[in-house]
Amino acid sequence: MATTIQSTGEATTGTSPLSGGWLDRLDDWCERFGDAINPILVKEMRQALKSRQFVVTFSLLLFAALAWTVAGSLSMMPRIYTSPSAPRMMIGYYAVLALPMLLVVPLAAYRSLEGEIDDGTLEMLTITTLSPWQIILGKLASASLQMLLYFVTLCPCLAFAYTLRGVDLPTTLLIVAALAVSGTLLTVVALFFAPLARGRGGRIMTMLSLILLLVLAEYGLAMMVVSLIWYGNPLSGPELLFTVLASLAIAFTFGHLLLTAAAAQLTPETENRSTGIRLSLLMLTTVAVVTLALAVRILNGPTGTVVYLCGVVLLATLWTVCAALMVGENPTITPRIRRELPSSFLSRLMLTWLTPGPSTGLVFGIICIATLAVIQQFGLAWIIQSGFGNGPTRGLLRNICSVPGILFPAYLICFLTVVRLIMAVVRLRNNPRVEVGLAALIVVALMAALVPYSMQLHYNDYQTLEYDPNWQVSNWAFTLTTALQNDLPPGPVKNVVGAAIGLSLIGLFAAWRTTRPRRIATPTRVLEEQLG
Amino acid sequence: MTTSEPSSEEQPAVAPFSATVPTEPNGPAFAPTVTPAVHSGVDDCIELRRLHRFFGETRAVSDITFSVQRGHVFGYIGPNGAGKTTSMRILATLDLPTYGDALVDGFSAVNDPELVRRRLGFMPDAFGTYRDVNCREYLDFFARAYGLTGAQRRQRLNWVLGFTGTEGMAFKPIRGLSKGMKQRLCLGRALIHDPSVLILDEPAAGLDPRARIELRRMIRELADRGKTILISSHILTELDEMCDAVGIIEQGQLLATGSVEDIQASKQNQLELCLRILNRNDEVAEALQQVPQAAKIDQVVVDGQLVRFGFSGDAKAQAGVVSSLVHAGFEVAEVSARKKSLEDVFLQITEGLVQ
Repeated sequence: MATTIQSTGEATTGTSPLSGGWLDRLDDWCERFGDAINPILVKEMRQALKSRQFVVTFSLLLFAALAWTVAGSLSMMPRIYTSPSAPRMMIGYYAVLALPMLLVVPLAAYRSLEGEIDDGTLEMLTITTLSPWQIILGKLASASLQMLLYFVTLCPCLAFAYTLRGVDLPTTLLIVAALAVSGTLLTVVALFFAPLARGRGGRIMTMLSLILLLVLAEYGLAMMVVSLIWYGNPLSGPELLFTVLASLAIAFTFGHLLLTAAAAQLTPETENRSTGIRLSLLMLTTVAVVTLALAVRILNGPTGTVVYLCGVVLLATLWTVCAALMVGENPTITPRIRRELPSSFLSRLMLTWLTPGPSTGLVFGIICIATLAVIQQFGLAWIIQSGFGNGPTRGLLRNICSVPGILFPAYLICFLTVVRLIMAVVRLRNNPRVEVGLAALIVVALMAALVPYSMQLHYNDYQTLEYDPNWQVSNWAFTLTTALQNDLPPGPVKNVVGAAIGLSLIGLFAAWRTTRPRRIATPTRVLEEQLG
Repeated sequence: MTTSEPSSEEQPAVAPFSATVPTEPNGPAFAPTVTPAVHSGVDDCIELRRLHRFFGETRAVSDITFSVQRGHVFGYIGPNGAGKTTSMRILATLDLPTYGDALVDGFSAVNDPELVRRRLGFMPDAFGTYRDVNCREYLDFFARAYGLTGAQRRQRLNWVLGFTGTEGMAFKPIRGLSKGMKQRLCLGRALIHDPSVLILDEPAAGLDPRARIELRRMIRELADRGKTILISSHILTELDEMCDAVGIIEQGQLLATGSVEDIQASKQNQLELCLRILNRNDEVAEALQQVPQAAKIDQVVVDGQLVRFGFSGDAKAQAGVVSSLVHAGFEVAEVSARKKSLEDVFLQITEGLVQ
């Protein structure tokens, strides 16, 4: 948006005074390029390159790389001239590069956004014409550029290690790509964490959680890279290609979801913060389902089955958290949101569930969880029939995904409906954050398990308990454990699924009221202004 | 309680603002005599409509309605915790009202914040700065953030540096600047995109007298250039000289709005009488209750030989009071009367209550 200078008349648009000569043209081009890129990126880079943190990290990186080059080479003398010595050198360089890329840069991005919130500069940013997305992407771009600087600095060392033989080019590229993708994804996670913190205690907790996550990621990736360097790549060509593409797709969609959520946290309440997240969540789920199906087919055997199981568990966790947050949303449909409501009959029928609000969130969650449950059951049948799941993990797959695969979504739907009711009561006199929805789900789940268990335990004189369907039908933990052991009678499954269907129908009818708000026209003057 | 229509004599030829104090059973005791209902005419550059903001049980802003015409300076006065900053933040699209709306140039700060932001420059009371950034880079960043490009951005940047007198500091890091220079820089940031409306929250706080005079000059100059300015301050004498109109707020409620003269005229006690009495000083307060003009006297303060009180009568009534005291045996050595300042009016209207 080019702001028009209105009243003072001091500023007028005009061409650059520079004219003629290739240097002038280059300068002009550079300025136009600078104008086109994200202002946050410009500011952050100016700040970062002057900051003590960057100078210290960069100096340490250079020193550590140089020190390892000398120390590593000397320690392998004179074998270094005759036998492949790259693995050891490469591991050292990886350690030098991974620390700033996976720890320092994400933490700096977190501190940068958190600092903006603490110092009140974020408020000054939000009243400019920059959107929350631009702010978040600017921070991410700045962090990526810093990572690039660190990587470029270490490139000669990596090239040196490659010439020592022992690590091939694809492996080197794979390590670099893994480092870059992980660093970027961890920065996205850090940016997602930054606006979550409220108050001093919250900030400390968030910071500690992030550091723990970063250290775990650093450790996990280091294990993978070291085994890749020492033992080589265990995957065949198609498997490697699939793994790389699937990892990229999952990283991209998961990163998109986190960025959308981070931007939503910086967006005012009156605006639609929910639809983007729901669409992003759908995109991630679709990619994950396709990836899991392909994983079973391409990584045939136990590896595929393990990937499938992990994927199912992760998807279940993701939807548990996201659905609880959606149920905790604010029910107010502001005029701003009403301007964007679907207007035709078909679009209202299909897209109303993407509009913000706890009722639509509940229905959206129920539809998606039920669909995923059905897909999972079909997937399981396909895996068993086609023989992809043959092997030692086949029994485990059947145990985890058959009856528990039905029970878990059914319990989740029941609990979400209860949480929706609780949140409606809480919202009568308060305006809680969406996170309260998640807290309510945890409380409901704990109560549903602990209360019947304690009661039966008490009536059983505190003796060891056998699973009793009459007492423990709401105890999801006991029921699922019994189902995993193949000891569950059919009664509880029918009851829980029946309750889930009944509560879903109640939720759907209760949500009917949310379909009533109609789209309102955007004021003409606003439209003119937006078009102008 | 409703706003009464002013008489034709009282109403200025061109009303600088219009305001309404809404009806409320437990509303403020003071009803300003000002022009009637708020309207959304094109000349109302800033408009607050029945603005409410509650934080739990605390009513930070309660049913505030007023508007400011284009090119005018509106002073927002109130004790700490009165709700000034909250209503300014709502207007600046940084907070949302519990009920009501705030409009800038006819655009809602709630529903169309991005359109409001293009027109609005906000200078908060607390000035957040960036590390490792100098003044020029700071302004350049905000110019970019407002979408200014190329030569336009450079020209605007130079103008702002010149106008705020910060050219000499352009390449100095912000964190090393004095409070006064930071305030100038903050004003520069608010002006960088040439907004038509400026919201200045306590801009003179912590400034030395010279910096305050300079700031006052800048604000007047901006108003002369057609900017509409909403300014809050505790230094009432400055607002008195600078503002076309003022609004007095306490405990989230607007107690009075109008030009300083209108508000002064609307108060019953226009004068403060000061007498110097040489004898029987401890009896004078009681004696003043006995004089025939006692109904026109309030808030008697005896300070040694000096006796001060608010007085709503004319010159003849003043003479009557003095005469009565002399007849009662008091030795009146000196009589002086002065009109109430904005500070006096403020003290009279507000009760110093905080939430």
